[in-house]
Amino acid sequence: MTANTANSSRHVKQSRFMRKALPYILSLPALLMCIGILIPFFTAVYYSMLRYRLNLPQMKGFIWFGNYVNFFYDPSFWNTVYISLLYAFLTVSLELMLGLAIALLLQKPTRFNNIASILLLLPLMTAPALASLMWKLMTNPNFGILSYFAGLLGFHDFRWASDPSTALFTVVLVDIWVYTPFIMILLLAGLRSLPQAPFEAAALDGVPRSFVFFRITLPMLMPYIITASLFRLLDSIQQFDIIYSMTQGGPGDKLLVFQVQAYLDFFQSTNVGRSAALMIILWAITYFLSNIFIKQWLKLRERAHGAG
Amino acid sequence: MTQLELKSLTKSYGAYKVFDGLNLAAEPGEIVVIFGGSGTGKTILLRLIAGVEEPTSGLIEIEGNDVADIAPEHRNIGMAFQNFALFPHLSAFENIATPLRAQNASAELVRSGVDKVAKLLKIDHVLGHAPRELSNGQKQRTALARALAAGPRILLLDDPLRNVDAKLRFEMRLELPRLLRQTGAAVLYVTQDYKEAMALADRIAVIANGKFIQTAAPEDIYLKPATLGVAQLFGDPSINTADTKVELAGKTVNVTLGGAKVPIVSSYSSYAGRLVTFGVRPEAVEINASKGAGLAANVMAVTPLNERTVLLLHSEGGWEFLASLPSSATNIPEPGAKVKASFAASGTHLFDKTTAERLHG
Amino acid sequence: MDHSSTFEKALRSALITLVLIFFLFPILWIFLMSLQTNETILRIPPSILFEPNLDNYRALITGKLQTTAGNLDIAFMRNLWNSVLLSTFSVALSLLLGVPAAYAFARFKFRLGEDIAFTLLSFRFAPPLLVLLPLSLYFKTLGLTNTYIGLIWVYQLICLPLILWIVRGYFEDISPDIEHAYRIAGNSWWKTFTRVAIPLARPGIAAAGLLAFIFAWNNFVFALILASADKQPVTVGALAFVTASGIQYGQIAAAIVLSVTPTLALALYAQRYLVEGLSMGAVKG
Repeated sequence: MTANTANSSRHVKQSRFMRKALPYILSLPALLMCIGILIPFFTAVYYSMLRYRLNLPQMKGFIWFGNYVNFFYDPSFWNTVYISLLYAFLTVSLELMLGLAIALLLQKPTRFNNIASILLLLPLMTAPALASLMWKLMTNPNFGILSYFAGLLGFHDFRWASDPSTALFTVVLVDIWVYTPFIMILLLAGLRSLPQAPFEAAALDGVPRSFVFFRITLPMLMPYIITASLFRLLDSIQQFDIIYSMTQGGPGDKLLVFQVQAYLDFFQSTNVGRSAALMIILWAITYFLSNIFIKQWLKLRERAHGAG
Repeated sequence: MTQLELKSLTKSYGAYKVFDGLNLAAEPGEIVVIFGGSGTGKTILLRLIAGVEEPTSGLIEIEGNDVADIAPEHRNIGMAFQNFALFPHLSAFENIATPLRAQNASAELVRSGVDKVAKLLKIDHVLGHAPRELSNGQKQRTALARALAAGPRILLLDDPLRNVDAKLRFEMRLELPRLLRQTGAAVLYVTQDYKEAMALADRIAVIANGKFIQTAAPEDIYLKPATLGVAQLFGDPSINTADTKVELAGKTVNVTLGGAKVPIVSSYSSYAGRLVTFGVRPEAVEINASKGAGLAANVMAVTPLNERTVLLLHSEGGWEFLASLPSSATNIPEPGAKVKASFAASGTHLFDKTTAERLHG
Repeated sequence: MDHSSTFEKALRSALITLVLIFFLFPILWIFLMSLQTNETILRIPPSILFEPNLDNYRALITGKLQTTAGNLDIAFMRNLWNSVLLSTFSVALSLLLGVPAAYAFARFKFRLGEDIAFTLLSFRFAPPLLVLLPLSLYFKTLGLTNTYIGLIWVYQLICLPLILWIVRGYFEDISPDIEHAYRIAGNSWWKTFTRVAIPLARPGIAAAGLLAFIFAWNNFVFALILASADKQPVTVGALAFVTASGIQYGQIAAAIVLSVTPTLALALYAQRYLVEGLSMGAVKG
C-alpha cells in the first residue's frame, strides 16, 4: 500500500488540463452536431436573400430582403399564412378540448382506464405519413368505409380530401386522430400528479363540481395545459407529413401550409430564394413560440426532477 | 510522519468564501473531529481532501506530498458520507468490496477482507442484501465498512451518525473510537453534535466563519474555550453569559450581574475597567442555602434533564441564569425557593466584549 | 368519497368506449383490409364477413405482385429493411454521442454545455425543411445524397435532443456522492461513468432509446428529401407504393400494417416511459 502511494508521483498524476477538458471532450460530438445544424441554418438565411432559381442559374444574385418584400404583395404568401394559422388553431384547440375531456374521463387509475389510455397511444405512435394513408384508404370514394358511412348519413358522394370545401376538415380530422392522444396523455399524467388535499376538502364541504373543475382542477392543471398546447402548436404550425401524404397541398392551393409550400417552391419551381425566405419566416414564428414553450417546459421539468 | 496536513487551505465559490486559510495536521491513528454548525463548509473540506473538488488556494499534503495533481482514486482515502451514498445497484457485499476490487484483489482476498470488516461492524448477516433492503443503521455500517475495507491511510467520516436513530447513535459513539483507532488511519470526523465530538475526538477543530477558531483536545475546548463562541457551542445547557465590566474594589475583583456585585478570582485584576462578557457554565453554579454567601436568586423552575437537574434562576437584580446539578444531589431546591448562588472558578470565564476572545485569568 | 351514481358510471363507460372506437377503428379496419382480396374490399355495402387470407403479405414478402396487367416487382421489403437499418443505427449513434454529453451537461455545469443543450432543443422545434433544403444542396456536393450515412447523420436531428434531455434528467437524479464514493474507493473517472452512472441511468437511457427509435422510424420528411427509392424507409416507400400499385388496396393495407407494427409493438412494450419521452423529460408518468 505504501508502494501504491510512492509510485503515485509517476503515472498516477492526472493532468490538470485533462480534468478541465473532460466536460468539453464529452460534449464535443454534440457540439459538432450543433455546428452541423447551424451551418445549413445560416446558409438558409443567406439563400433567403438571393434571387436563386436552380433552373435559371445565370439569374442568381444578392437582393437583400427582396424575397421578403415580394411576399408582402403576394396573395399566395398570405394564403399560406392564413392556412397555416387556421390549421394550427383548429387542430390545437380541438385536440386540447378533446384531450382534456378524455383525460378527465380516464382520471381514475382503474385497470380499465389504464388499458384504455395505453391503447389510445397507438395512433400517436403511428407514423403520421402512414396514418394519412390509412385515412386515404378509408375515405376512398369507391370502397372507403368512411365514405360509405357518410352516404348512410345522407352525404352522398362526400369527397373528403379531394373536395376543396372539405379538404381542410379531412386533414384536421387526421391530425386530431394522430395527436389528441399526445395532449391526453400529458394532461392525464398532470391530473394524476395533482395533490389530493384540495379535492378532498372540496368534497367534504360539498362544493359543486363545476366550481371544483373551474376553480381547482383547471388552474392546477394549467402548467400542463400550457406546455402540451405550446408543444402541439409548435408542431402543428409546421405540419408537413399529414398534408403532403394526403393531398400534397391540394386541391388547388387549399392546403398549402408553410412547409408544403416551401417544399414545392424548392423542388417544383426550384425557387430556392423564395423557399428559404418562407422557411426563415416560419422559423421566426416557431422560435418566438419555442422560447415561451421552453420556459414553461423547464418549470415542469424542474418539478418532475425535483421530486425524484 | 504527519499523515495529513492542510496548509492555508482556502475555498471560495465566486465571491463567496466558504473558508479561508485552514491549517490542520493529523497523525496516524489520531481522530480529529471537525466541529461546527451547518453551512460552515465541513463537508466541502472533506471533499477537497478526497479530491472530488479543488481548493481555491492552499495545500493538501498526504504523507508530506502535495496531492493537488493526484486523482481521488489514488489518494488512498476512505470516506463515509452523511447520506451513506451506497451503490443502489450493488449488494452490501459488493458495496464493501468496491475498494478491494479497485485494487484488483483476488477473489479470496476480497471475500476475506469484506468478511473481516463486516464482522467487525456486525453486518455479516446482511451482506447479500441490496441497499434498499437495509435498515438505516445497517446502511450506515455498510457505508462505514466500505470506507474501512481497503485499509486507507486517511478516513473521512462526514457526520456518519446523523441519519441513524438515537439508540444506534449512542452505541456507535461508544464503539467507534476503538474501531477507528484500530485502523491506524488518520481520521477526520465531521459532526455538529458536541457530545459526539467530545466522545470521539483526540482533538477537536472548531470551525466557524470560515476559520478554525480553536483546535485542541476535548477537555481543553471545554475548560479553556478560545472564544465565547466556542464556549457557547460546547455544553448543554449552554454557558450563562452577562455583559459587564471588571471592577477593582480593594483586593477583590468584581463583576456586576443584574445590579449585584459578584466577586471573581483575583487573577483577573489586570483587566480592571475592561468591558467583558462574563460566562459561567451551569455545571459551575453552586447552590447554597439563602443564609450563605453568594448572589441572591429565586428558583423559577426545576427541570430534570438526563442525569442532571436544571434550575432556572432569577437574581434579585433581574439576571436570568441556569444551574445544572447532579440529580443525585441532596440540596436541590423547590421552585419558588430563595437561594444564594456562587460560581466555581474552573467554569467561570471572562471574554473580551469586542473580540469575544477568552481573557486569561 | 365516491358519489358518482350508476348512471354516471354508465355514461362514463359509454363515452370511453366511443373514444376507443374512434381512435382504434382505423387501425383495426386497415388490418382487416390487409387480409382481404380486392373483390371483398370493393363490396358495397362493406362487410366484416370474409375469408381471411395472407395473399397480400405473401406478395409483399416475395416481392412479386400479380396484377391484371402482368407481374410487377415490388421493393417494399427493401423499404422495411431500410427503416430497420436507419432507425437502429441512428439511435445507436445518438446514444453513443448523446449519453456522454448528457452526463457532461448534468454533472459539470458549464456555459458551453448549456448553450449546446438549448441550441439542440430549440432546433428540435424549428421547421425541419429549414435545415433540410440547404442540406440537400450540401449533400449533393459532399456525395452524401442517398447514402445511409447521410441519412443517419440527419436523423440525429430528432434522436439527439431527445436522448440528451431525457438522459440528462436521469443523471441529474443520481446523487453526486454516489459517484464520488466510487471514485474515492479507487476507480477512475471512466470506470465510475460506465459502472455507476450508466447502470443507474439505464431506465432513462432505455426509454430515450426506444422513443428515439419510434420517432426515427416514423420520420417522413428527411428521407423524402434526401433519399431515392432504394434507401427510403417505409414512411416514404408506402406513399410511393400507393402511386405505383394503383388499385392493389389489399397490398397497400398489408404494407401499412407491416410498417406500423414495429412502432406500435415497441410503444406497448415501453408504454411506461412514453409520457416522459413525449414530453422530453418534463413530465414523469
